[in-house]
Amino acid sequence: MDFLITHITEYSYSEEVVFCHNIATIKPRQSPGQELLEYHVEIDPTPTEFSERKDFFGNNLTRFSIQKAHKKLAVTSTCKISRDYTAIKNSFNSEKCTKVTLVSALDSLNGNTKDNFEPKQFILDSILIKNNKANIKEYALESFKPNRSVFEATKELMQRIFIDFNFVSGFTNVSTPLDVVMEEKKGVCQDFAQIGIACLRSVGLPARYISGYIETLPPPGKPKLIGADASHAWFAVYIPGFGWVDFDPTNNKIPENQHIVVGWGRDYYDVPPLKGVVYSSGSSKLSVSVDIKSLNTTTNQVQSQSQ
Amino acid sequence: MKVDVESLIENYFEGVSYDEMFQDNRGVKDTWKNLYETLKSLGTEELISRQKEIDWNLAENGITYNVYNDPNGLNRPWSLNLVPFIMHKNEWNKVEKGLQQRATLLDLVVKDIYGDRQLLKKGIIPHEVVFGHRGFLRQCDGIEINTHKYLSVYAADLSRGPDGRMWVVNDRAQAPSGMGYSLENRTIAGRVLPNIYRNIHVNGQDQFFNDFNKLLVNAAPANKTNPTVVVLTPGPHNETYFEHAYLASYYGFPLVRGSDLVVRDGKLWMKSLKALKQVDVVYRRVDDVFVDPLELREDSYLGVAGLLDVVRRKNVSILNPIGVGIIENSGLIPFMPAIAKYFLGEKLILPQIATWWCGQKKELDHVLSDISKLVIKRIDKSNRESIVFTEFLNEKELEALKDKIKSRPHLYVAQEKIKFSTVPNLVKGKLEPRNMVCRAFTIAKDKGYTVMSGGLVRVSSTKENVRVSNQRGGTSKDFCIIDESSIKGKVPRVGNTNTTVVAAGLNDLPSLTAENLYWAGRYIGRALVTSRHLRMVLNQMVNNEEVINLDQNTKLSILLRSVTQLTNTYPGFVGDEKEPAVSNLKDELISVIVDQDKVGSLAHTLSMFSNSYYSIRNLWSTDMWRVFDSIHQIWDPIINEDIKLLSYKKLIKVLDKLITRLIAFMGLIEESILVDQGLLLYFIGLNLERVILNVSNFQSMLTVVTEDYIEYEILEAMLHSHESLNIYRYSYRSYININSVISLILLDTKYARSLTYLVRRLKKDIAHLPHSKVKGALQDYEKPIFEAFSKLRLASVTDLVDVSEENRYLRYKLNKLLTELNVLLYATSKAISDTYFNHVDDQSQLSRQKFS
Repeated sequence: MDFLITHITEYSYSEEVVFCHNIATIKPRQSPGQELLEYHVEIDPTPTEFSERKDFFGNNLTRFSIQKAHKKLAVTSTCKISRDYTAIKNSFNSEKCTKVTLVSALDSLNGNTKDNFEPKQFILDSILIKNNKANIKEYALESFKPNRSVFEATKELMQRIFIDFNFVSGFTNVSTPLDVVMEEKKGVCQDFAQIGIACLRSVGLPARYISGYIETLPPPGKPKLIGADASHAWFAVYIPGFGWVDFDPTNNKIPENQHIVVGWGRDYYDVPPLKGVVYSSGSSKLSVSVDIKSLNTTTNQVQSQSQ
Repeated sequence: MKVDVESLIENYFEGVSYDEMFQDNRGVKDTWKNLYETLKSLGTEELISRQKEIDWNLAENGITYNVYNDPNGLNRPWSLNLVPFIMHKNEWNKVEKGLQQRATLLDLVVKDIYGDRQLLKKGIIPHEVVFGHRGFLRQCDGIEINTHKYLSVYAADLSRGPDGRMWVVNDRAQAPSGMGYSLENRTIAGRVLPNIYRNIHVNGQDQFFNDFNKLLVNAAPANKTNPTVVVLTPGPHNETYFEHAYLASYYGFPLVRGSDLVVRDGKLWMKSLKALKQVDVVYRRVDDVFVDPLELREDSYLGVAGLLDVVRRKNVSILNPIGVGIIENSGLIPFMPAIAKYFLGEKLILPQIATWWCGQKKELDHVLSDISKLVIKRIDKSNRESIVFTEFLNEKELEALKDKIKSRPHLYVAQEKIKFSTVPNLVKGKLEPRNMVCRAFTIAKDKGYTVMSGGLVRVSSTKENVRVSNQRGGTSKDFCIIDESSIKGKVPRVGNTNTTVVAAGLNDLPSLTAENLYWAGRYIGRALVTSRHLRMVLNQMVNNEEVINLDQNTKLSILLRSVTQLTNTYPGFVGDEKEPAVSNLKDELISVIVDQDKVGSLAHTLSMFSNSYYSIRNLWSTDMWRVFDSIHQIWDPIINEDIKLLSYKKLIKVLDKLITRLIAFMGLIEESILVDQGLLLYFIGLNLERVILNVSNFQSMLTVVTEDYIEYEILEAMLHSHESLNIYRYSYRSYININSVISLILLDTKYARSLTYLVRRLKKDIAHLPHSKVKGALQDYEKPIFEAFSKLRLASVTDLVDVSEENRYLRYKLNKLLTELNVLLYATSKAISDTYFNHVDDQSQLSRQKFS
């Protein structure tokens, strides 16, 4: 499937910003089953400096600075993505994936192999997911049993997060500690992704955070509203001998073509869509809009999104 | 006088196992014999007096070490014990080789970790030791730097182990401190103990400090010939701020804070008085994660946003490069032998403390079962507070520690508990044994590394204390290498032989330094004018300690009100919209002098003065320290005294002394700091403040018309406060009258204290500021002072003494002039700040995230 994605981030400032340095993680990275056909970013006011590079995890970073006074910053990225994930999703049903038990996974992670080396860093604590209380592990252990398939257990974990946690926007922000999310059982997609990651790491499995977009479909018979789509986040688990498998606990769904990957890291901290340091004495207001347009004529896709 | 040997080392051997000076049979080791004999021949009294001389020298030179979380810790004097730690060259040569080898290895380790990570891929280092360590900065991955080596400066903490060899205890790389203290220790010890140093053939450190200068200069991108090198400090509250300032002034490099620097166009710039100046090399004393709030710690105000990107573009060199914190890693210790074998095919020359990394099952089991015999550390925290000496833990705490280790085993190491060697320390005229740690300094030179001869030794504060740290109140020693082949009789001398011409002019003055100098001038001006005025008022009050009715005493009423107006301490004696004037005159007057929490009080002004001076201490001369110290010595006891015990007489005496010292201090500033170093800014601040305060006093005391005899007394008081009574008598030889007073202290063009004279001086100084040089036009900040000067020149005495029809108690023209001057002076102050200091805007994050 081909998509045209328009992602607009706007900051309005109460006082003039004299100058600013920013880093954006908005250009979709190379990712299995996904191809970036076109990409364009527009920044207003026009930056004095602009550069792109790849970070430690292979994500595309965009760096810019604006050296003239401004009261509004708008970053608009448009990209054309072709996504064909069906074959990959089907491969999750293979024995190579489903037969790996927790015991055998931990066993093979214990050794040092060429394939293990990169994923193993995703077992360790990260900046936003660390020093978690015992209740995370207890929660995880309900699904993870030594001789159970890691794939099955993770799928169940995803399901349980979907059932046990309430989607409440505005309750959390990027700095809300994971313990609060676990305690209150509410939050948004990035909180659910991070809960999943914390659970997987608590039993010794590598887990990473994926930042991207999801196409939302309008209720039957209603026109689709522009900008109604959203930035999204989910998690992936590493199954030794097979590879990474994505899970979306917000929608209780193993991602397929409607999930578009932008970047991944250990948690949100590694892939914030836009961050920066501004020099100003005032406050700022943020607004974000994402619009995903399917470019295929046959759009009669089944979408079982329940939220 | 010979000292009784028994008394010098009385009780020395109790509990001592391995001592540096004494053998097991209590004989003195060969290396130490000369030193020991010299100490003995000096005698107890002389030793005590030499130690005092050292302490005095340290205090006089303002050598300090700040202790965090200690209210009295800021600017605590550095402590240096008279007895040096000495080591023979034969032994040192081996240590030196070991340090060179270790620096070479650690350099290769950092390069590999931020490069292809072969050490991890080949399993030589477990990945958790790197990926699990907070010091591994993914943002630095793949960065190429301008210098050949990644590790330019390396410090190792060494202690002597039970086998008699020097062992490595800690590796330091982010911002190792101590080089400046070593230099100061050597300089002062050499000065106070020339005979001791002559007798023991100490090797000098000059070459090392020259090499360090070359290292910094040569680190510049594209081998720039006359690069701008700056010293980046976290600021005056940092524990080793003295050293940052000291090294900056030793080498003549600007001392800057993060807010002095800015990233633009992919380059690093220093905000200087004239414009932005490109920075080529940063010798940083700020830890890795604090240097760039854009890519590293968001909440840091100690760094520069975007710095890492400038490094990535190779437009600046940071020494040490950002990211080296990864080798401050006790998790590496067990793997160092394998690393040495892998990179160099060598064995480690220097032994290390036995260390078990808990990330491996066998090691973890050993640690958990033997935990009470071990010392537990986190691999990425080497500060004393995060080291656990298990012998001090109870059963419950031990279990909690075990659980912590079990939940994140890869974050912990356990180390063998070792009783390190002791060295003699002079305590109250006797030698006492103390545990010691040496810090040795290694810097990159040519293809290899060079090591400072000796270094810094720190010893524990008490005989019993096993922890050695300046943070815990230990003391330091000079660390000397004995070499009989060095020229006999040569007193070790360290001097800056740096011949590079430092192109520092007023234009290049960092704007923060400029601002600090300006405020230093303003505060000292305020301190002086306020103390003189208060002294005059106290003298008038001294016979009136009892209750006075101000309604019936016009003179005292005017004088007391002038105090409130001068110090801006309303309601005070004047009252304001919310509160009436105070009724307890004595309490109010004393609090305006000694209450540090009262903004505007003399005590408050003096504390602001101290702060502004600490922040520019790199510009100070030794004499300035001495006077500064004496100001504190007379002032500090007063502000801590019970207010009830303070009398007017006592305060007058204190103010007399204070005023003399302030004047001495001002004289020293004028001759110790060059105009190009920013003295101009100091003068502008000083004179602006004097003028503003004089205008306030004139308005309080000269605009009111009273009965003749009262007016006489007020005018006399005004001349006293203005320190102009003698000049007045000399110039006018007449009864004091308003016309002559105005002529002298307002309008005289030749008298250096008159308002007109000071304003003209200000106008002239302001015209020398970098932006004033535009021909034919006044800058915005020059206009108000020009107007003030014109108004004064156009004024005439006969006009100014005029009284209006409506209000026969007010000299309305004088009042109007002074009001206008006040407005113009504040406009000058604001315009100067806006033009020269205020390009420091608040830094904030786009989305306020808090991570720790």
